[in-house]
Amino acid sequence: MGAGRWTAKARGVRVAAAVVAALGLLATGCGGGSGSGDGKVTIRYSWWGAKDRAELIQKTVKLFEKEHPNIKVKTDFSEYTDFWSKFNTQAAGGNAPDVFQNSYAFLRKYGDKNLLLDLNGQADAGNLSLKGFRDGLEKAGDIDGKLLGVPVGANTFAFFYNPDAYRKAGVTVKDGWTWDDFFAAAKKVRKGGGTLYGASDNANVMYLYDLYLRQNGKAFFTKDNKLGFTKDDLTEWWGRWQQHAKADELVPGKKSEQAKPKASISADLSASEFTWDNFLVRFAAETKTTLDLGPIPTTDGKRTAQYLSSLMLSGSARTQHPKEVAQFIDFMTHDPEVGKIMGYNRGIPATTAQYDAYRPQGVDAKIAAYEKSVSTKLEPITPHPAGADVAEAAFLRIYTQVALGQTSMGKAVDQFFSEAESALGS
Amino acid sequence: MTPTTTRAADGVRPPDGTTPGATPGATPGTTPGTTPGAAARGARPAPAAGRRQGRRETLAGYLFLTPWCIGILLLTLGPMLVSLYLAFTDYNLFDSPRWIGFKNFRDLFEDDRWWTSVQVTLKYVLIGTPLKLAAALAVALLLVKPRKGQGFYRSAFYAPSLIGASVSIGVVWRAIFNDNAVVDKSMSLFGWDVGGWIGDPDWALPTLITLTVWQFGAPMVIFLAGLKQVPGELYEAAEMDGAGRWRRFRSITLPMISPVLFFNLLLELIHSFQVFTSAVVIAGSGTNTGGPGDSLLVYGWYLYEQGFRNLRMGYAAAMAWMLMLGIGLVTAVLFRTQRGWVHYEEDAQ
Repeated sequence: MGAGRWTAKARGVRVAAAVVAALGLLATGCGGGSGSGDGKVTIRYSWWGAKDRAELIQKTVKLFEKEHPNIKVKTDFSEYTDFWSKFNTQAAGGNAPDVFQNSYAFLRKYGDKNLLLDLNGQADAGNLSLKGFRDGLEKAGDIDGKLLGVPVGANTFAFFYNPDAYRKAGVTVKDGWTWDDFFAAAKKVRKGGGTLYGASDNANVMYLYDLYLRQNGKAFFTKDNKLGFTKDDLTEWWGRWQQHAKADELVPGKKSEQAKPKASISADLSASEFTWDNFLVRFAAETKTTLDLGPIPTTDGKRTAQYLSSLMLSGSARTQHPKEVAQFIDFMTHDPEVGKIMGYNRGIPATTAQYDAYRPQGVDAKIAAYEKSVSTKLEPITPHPAGADVAEAAFLRIYTQVALGQTSMGKAVDQFFSEAESALGS
Repeated sequence: MTPTTTRAADGVRPPDGTTPGATPGATPGTTPGTTPGAAARGARPAPAAGRRQGRRETLAGYLFLTPWCIGILLLTLGPMLVSLYLAFTDYNLFDSPRWIGFKNFRDLFEDDRWWTSVQVTLKYVLIGTPLKLAAALAVALLLVKPRKGQGFYRSAFYAPSLIGASVSIGVVWRAIFNDNAVVDKSMSLFGWDVGGWIGDPDWALPTLITLTVWQFGAPMVIFLAGLKQVPGELYEAAEMDGAGRWRRFRSITLPMISPVLFFNLLLELIHSFQVFTSAVVIAGSGTNTGGPGDSLLVYGWYLYEQGFRNLRMGYAAAMAWMLMLGIGLVTAVLFRTQRGWVHYEEDAQ
């Protein structure tokens, strides 16, 4: 027995040493300091997106570090849903990234909790320029007088379609067409003998329903943070899509679930789909089929009720380096080189300097032409209250269950209202 | 406690006569010549000194345990108490928690998705665990007899349970069962066209269950150990009495390994209830729902979604305690019933 070779005293000393060592490990593990000591400031930057975006952003960060040798940028990124889970945990621990990608839907949610840096002060101090933004985008991050985000790119909702399938069915997509025209077109394409469904079942896309509601003088959310429609409204909207889905004109729920993570249109299941215009870049990578962008159907033959939404950069209210964060955002939004590198990856650049620096080609040129064609129709964005993201996720999930035949329309509508109201109420 | 390890055994040395090396001065006044008599005395150490020695050893023991004790207090017990408190509050991670009594628990029972998650988890546990244990026992029975390459087979069957719960295997599973992937294609060959299992609300859960069943290696190893303990005479005697294979299995093997079976069942049940990673990975990152039509919405996932995505930490804490109660209940029931079917050898003798 080896223990016999030690006395208890010596053992005690060793144990004590082991304990001290263990505690020491714990202590050093917890207290990761950020002081680098050489006068350099380190800021943390994180965003959501796929690998292609990460590669582009890394290039722009290098450029920034070259221009600002006293600032070091630590980066990390994840996919959209994971990004926010991670962000929530970090922010709750008082350790949010200094600067991060944000979008309009989250400004109120995190602004209400005082997590976002009000960039007005930095703009006044001259660290961040708010000049040279397109279409009044410098106001996009303005929430109740606080500047909680600065847009890097903007995009708008679009109708995607397969021009060949539409031509074969004898349908032309033109400005001012109506929802009736759209559903009739989907039916024609489907009955035209091809293998494609007429359209993807997008009844579950909050942003599309928002446009429909706006065309009818309502909106998804009201200014006082409530749902802007009734159960009857939603039953009508979902019911209309269901009716066409049951007639086999739209992609069945099961097929579109199986196609994920591809969209139904990029999985070559359907001939049309509604989503943000910059998705054309992604779809071009997923399918060989040529896709075009067309106008959103209207209710009155005129109004699409579209608006620009944007990806933004926000700062953390708890950052130790607000000045450097502002300089970083300024560089990322205005520098022409950054514009050239990023292209339309995050939507069309928000400043004219970056917009002019990049010559769009291929699918990017299509997006540019589309945004130009709708630029005169743009209206102010629907306000997104705190909890908008939860409501959006519920909207998507619950209609999908209807499409899968797992629940009845009445139950689904009730469930959505109960989930959304509890998310908006808190 | 053997005399050679006690300092109280005045002047006792290890049989080879060497002085305890680490503490030359600790046993003053002893000389090699006194050994025999001292050994006799040493067999009965002085009570007071023995107690002191015992205390010191206990103390040393606890000191050794300190890091783990701190770990349990700070990383397990502390958080558990906090979570118990949070279960009765409305807490969004950012504002301070607000006491709301049993509201979270009442809301749970009215929450359709919570019931969905309970159903999905129960299906997973009640189908997956018996299948897994059956597979483990079957393979253990095959591997218990000595045969060529036995070591290799054991390792090969054991390997999945080492890696099975990891993200990478989840990704592999996703790739295998996806639309137009290996499984889909080979089944189409036989005219059975399901499409991708992962995206099909009816087939997603079976996919997850096959993953857990595939990890039968760990219970298999435990079964193997149990099977080796079964005395061979019993089988010989039974064989003489004309018992067939099935009879031998039912009347000898099963009762003899019932403690091991009980242990495995308990462990696997508790483990299965907490499934999370594989469900999330198989459904694919970036989805807003618990798999197609919530068909993979296991309890742990819904808890995570409420806590970290919807920022309803109080609600998530209440869910965690309901899970704890559920697992506790199942465990209690198992312990209650074990008298009826688990046979410990001591009882038999």
